[in-house]
Amino acid sequence: MGKFILDGQEIGFKPGQTIIEAAKEVGVEIPHFCWHPSLSVSGNCRVCLVEVEKMPKLAIACATQASEGMVVHTESTRALSARQAVMEFLLINHPLDCPICDEAGECKLQDYTFSHSVGESRFTEEKQHKEKRVPLGPHVMFDGDRCISCSRCIRFCDEIAGESELTFVNRGDRVTIQTFPGKELKNPYSLCVTDICPVGALTNRDFRFKARVWDMSNTASVCPGCARGCNIDVWVRSNEILRLTPRQNDEVNSYWMCDEGRLNTWKHVNAGDRVDCPHIRRDEGLSKATWDEIYSKASAELHSFSSGEIAFIGSATSTVEDNHLLSKLASHLHCKNIDFPRHIVPGSGDKILRREDKTPNAAGALAAGISPVKDGLGFEEIMVAIKSHKIKALVVVEEDIAAMDEKYVSALKQLQLLVVLASNFNATTELAHIVIPAATWTEKNGVFINFEGRAQRIRPAVATEQMDRSLDGFSMSRLDKFGTKFDRWGNYKKYDARPAWRIFLDLGHLLGLKAKFELAEDVWEDFTKHSPGFHGITYDDLGETGLTVKKELHKV
Amino acid sequence: MAVKKRMKDFTLMEKIYLPSIVAGLGITLQNMFKPKYTMEYPEVKFMPSGHYRGRPVLVQEEDGGERCVACGLCSRVCPALAIDIQAAETEKEKERYPERFEINMLRCIFCGLCEEVCPEEAIVMSKEYEIAFTNRQDAIYGKDKLLTPIADLQERIEFLRGNK
Amino acid sequence: MESLIIAGIALVKVLILANIILLTVSYLVYFERKISAWAQSRVGPNRVGYAGLLQPFADVFKLLLKEDIVPDQANKPIHTLAPFLALFVAFTTYAVIPWGPDVTIFGRVIELSVVPNINAGILYVLALTSIGVYAITLSGWSSGSKYSLLGGVRASAQMISYEISMGFSVAGVLIFSQSLLPSEIVKSQSGLMWNAFLQPIGFITFVTAAFAETNRLPFDLPEAEPELVGGFHTEYSSMKFAAFFLAEYANMMIASALIVTLYLGGWQVPYLEKLGLSAGWEAIIQVAAFFTKLVFLMFFFIWVRWSIPRFRYDQLMDIGWKVMFPLALLNVIWAAVLAMLIK
Ligand code: SF4
Ligand code: SF4
Ligand code: SF4
Ligand code: SF4
Ligand code: FES
Repeated sequence: MGKFILDGQEIGFKPGQTIIEAAKEVGVEIPHFCWHPSLSVSGNCRVCLVEVEKMPKLAIACATQASEGMVVHTESTRALSARQAVMEFLLINHPLDCPICDEAGECKLQDYTFSHSVGESRFTEEKQHKEKRVPLGPHVMFDGDRCISCSRCIRFCDEIAGESELTFVNRGDRVTIQTFPGKELKNPYSLCVTDICPVGALTNRDFRFKARVWDMSNTASVCPGCARGCNIDVWVRSNEILRLTPRQNDEVNSYWMCDEGRLNTWKHVNAGDRVDCPHIRRDEGLSKATWDEIYSKASAELHSFSSGEIAFIGSATSTVEDNHLLSKLASHLHCKNIDFPRHIVPGSGDKILRREDKTPNAAGALAAGISPVKDGLGFEEIMVAIKSHKIKALVVVEEDIAAMDEKYVSALKQLQLLVVLASNFNATTELAHIVIPAATWTEKNGVFINFEGRAQRIRPAVATEQMDRSLDGFSMSRLDKFGTKFDRWGNYKKYDARPAWRIFLDLGHLLGLKAKFELAEDVWEDFTKHSPGFHGITYDDLGETGLTVKKELHKV
Repeated sequence: MAVKKRMKDFTLMEKIYLPSIVAGLGITLQNMFKPKYTMEYPEVKFMPSGHYRGRPVLVQEEDGGERCVACGLCSRVCPALAIDIQAAETEKEKERYPERFEINMLRCIFCGLCEEVCPEEAIVMSKEYEIAFTNRQDAIYGKDKLLTPIADLQERIEFLRGNK
Repeated sequence: MESLIIAGIALVKVLILANIILLTVSYLVYFERKISAWAQSRVGPNRVGYAGLLQPFADVFKLLLKEDIVPDQANKPIHTLAPFLALFVAFTTYAVIPWGPDVTIFGRVIELSVVPNINAGILYVLALTSIGVYAITLSGWSSGSKYSLLGGVRASAQMISYEISMGFSVAGVLIFSQSLLPSEIVKSQSGLMWNAFLQPIGFITFVTAAFAETNRLPFDLPEAEPELVGGFHTEYSSMKFAAFFLAEYANMMIASALIVTLYLGGWQVPYLEKLGLSAGWEAIIQVAAFFTKLVFLMFFFIWVRWSIPRFRYDQLMDIGWKVMFPLALLNVIWAAVLAMLIK
């Protein structure tokens, strides 16, 4: 490990590291547009120019390798004036679009214009105009005017997504981005280009114009789209999820996430078919009920069956905590028939991020004990046993079994008691006798364990009737902080849904289960006590990026 | 107790006090016969000039559409959080427009910062000062009440430009 | 029969006077508001009736319709009694004020004063105004509020202090008139021998003391809104508040009438007898003169209120004891010397 001097301070570097990388490691950010830590170096924006002693010309920090004894100045007069000149050039043809640009507020060009430019332009000629509002693919919109030709998007497609779809065309100030003839930007990771585009040239068509970034709160969570468990931020305004963005975690997803996870894992949270309060089937169909009613009814009815007649279906989309309490309840009732359905979609995985297992927590469900106890029945066997009237009561957690296979529908119809925990009405709730509204993954605390055995926290971003944004420590935007129920944006819809673990806890109390938990954290603590490999791991230990636990435990 | 000496002691005339009383009475007496300044609202209405900051309104272009591009800067700068905007996409060249634009007049403090920050000259302070409502819901002014033809706002816009 | 007629005449005089007082007082409020407006370049009340002339009635109706609130902590009987005591004192004082010379109607000499021949007339006035202090002090004390109490305490201290200079100023006048009878005092000021000219110092101390006695600005410390909210009447509302209000303006009118009687020659018009008018005309002009002087003084009261700011309480006491009292004494000596020289 060599050493060189950066702004009068001696710092170390690994062989082959560039100046910008070595500086980043000690927390010095050298301005950059085209350089990205996980893409190749292209060196075409020139904003990273620094002065290196004994070099005749300024050098770009992103492509110059650090060497022993080098003396680098990032704030010298020469470096500064060069940077200001680069900013001025970049802004020559850049439109004054910030008011309508979705990137505003998280735009590198805005930030650097603010911090590194002279603040005015000497350019009086007509700006170069390019095509605006060009759909590059199903999810991404391109604005030619705003592009600063950094080539990050091109390199992302080539190097990360592995599908060359984008390229530069033309030269000089006419240069712009296009898809290759006959191609569209539609690789499974295409929306990542909107994250890395330093300006607002590439925007997410799903999120376009929905909200200003400064009006939203963002909550660190985990994508529930597949067993990878990409780290994400959930962006919420007025209690409504508006977008997800990947959050850097070098152990899991680096800087990326797939389009499927980004777009399709949260739409149900704000959907119109949410189960907004408990329901009981009466003669005329499902009708609203109070929590007390459904608890007493469910516990009384469960009580009337022998343990062999009851089965529990857990879920790999629920948290470890939810499944832990489910298995606690099952063993309290001496029920051995407990399992969860798998959602493996063959061929849907790849070598980048996506996994064939479409659930985020299969390893966690297993660790929490959601598997048939000795002589107990597995998922398929339970369904068969229902058909043959051996099993008469079934509790289902957040799984739409009826939609999985036609044959399950007829089986479910045989049941004398079907209790379903669901966030949205679906084919299974159609058949249920009791429907209990379950909080979605954006409305509760908990842990997912991914296919590598990495336990990662999810956090509530959407408030429910039971969860208060400020009292329960949600991240809050300015609007959340100062809104009142008299403001239209403060007077938002909150669903009356509870996390599955709390539902099982309350139900368990009626059935004689002795357990006392206040928070999801308490449930997790109880889980770690009973699960080898997790001993002593707290929520704090998991932190923002999670922790990989002993692997051999978690074979799905 | 030590007697405090004044910085400047009163002269005898000042101490007698009566002359100043008489002078004071003289002033009020004169005033009784001077013209009065009272403006007899509501028969006589106050007509503010361009510099007046009445309730903020949205500029409506000649084609009937709003000039606003829903950038949200006014909403961000508003110290009273009075402005609520929902942006949406439009076919027009400006791409973006406010699908919903609401000012809560119970929150607004007529500071004019929204007008100052607007990059499009799309929200300006009008001359309207008669703002009354009987419940909280009515206090939220939507686009129907905010949009004002640009012709009516000419004086204010010129005033703003003169100030820049 | 004779006593019945006397009683009848007295009743008529009472009725006329009471109506005059009530009307004047309500219009005093109106003019108070008008004059304050004019002094401040405003217009003043002009909505009810022509030029707002019906405003006093609107005010009265408003006060009548208001809820009467009595504080929980109040001593209720006294709290209720106090405003009416104030009103009573204010009205009974008028009895001895002569508002014209004796006139002869249907062969009967009628004195233009309700109770003309009390030979302790002026003492009666002084005695009654002292009782007025009780009304204010009691109201302040019985309200059960610290603001009211402070107002009441201030009022008693202030009134006692100024009563002294007032009394000594009056003494100067009595030296000249040699009588306590108000009508005699008036008669003693024939021609230009008005006490105001003969004893200017006494005049000034008396007027000042009158301001203090009526709690008018610049001596309205018992009310002092900025510090005491409303002083002794903070806890009063509706009719009881109106009673205090009425009493204040009635007091102002008495004070004016007293000043006219004692210092400005009462109903006397200098050298009127030289014009040789008939007795009837003379009487009419003299009554008119009395009321003109009265109106001017009441205007003066209002005018001062809107021109001069309130004193500080210590200044008020300072002036009362260290300035007014010695000056009044000085005036007595001056009056005595003058009386010896003239007579
Ligand atoms: S890309 Fe950045 S600088 Fe350009 S218009 Fe958008 S926000 Fe403004
Ligand atoms: S579209 Fe964005 S990422 Fe792509 S070259 Fe232009 S500025 Fe860079
Ligand atoms: S600042 Fe102007 S353009 Fe932006 S949202 Fe407000 S009114 Fe519209
Ligand atoms: S005038 Fe001030 S308070 Fe009112 S809407 Fe504009 S910024 Fe907000
Ligand atoms: S970051 Fe170095 S040239 Fe762009």
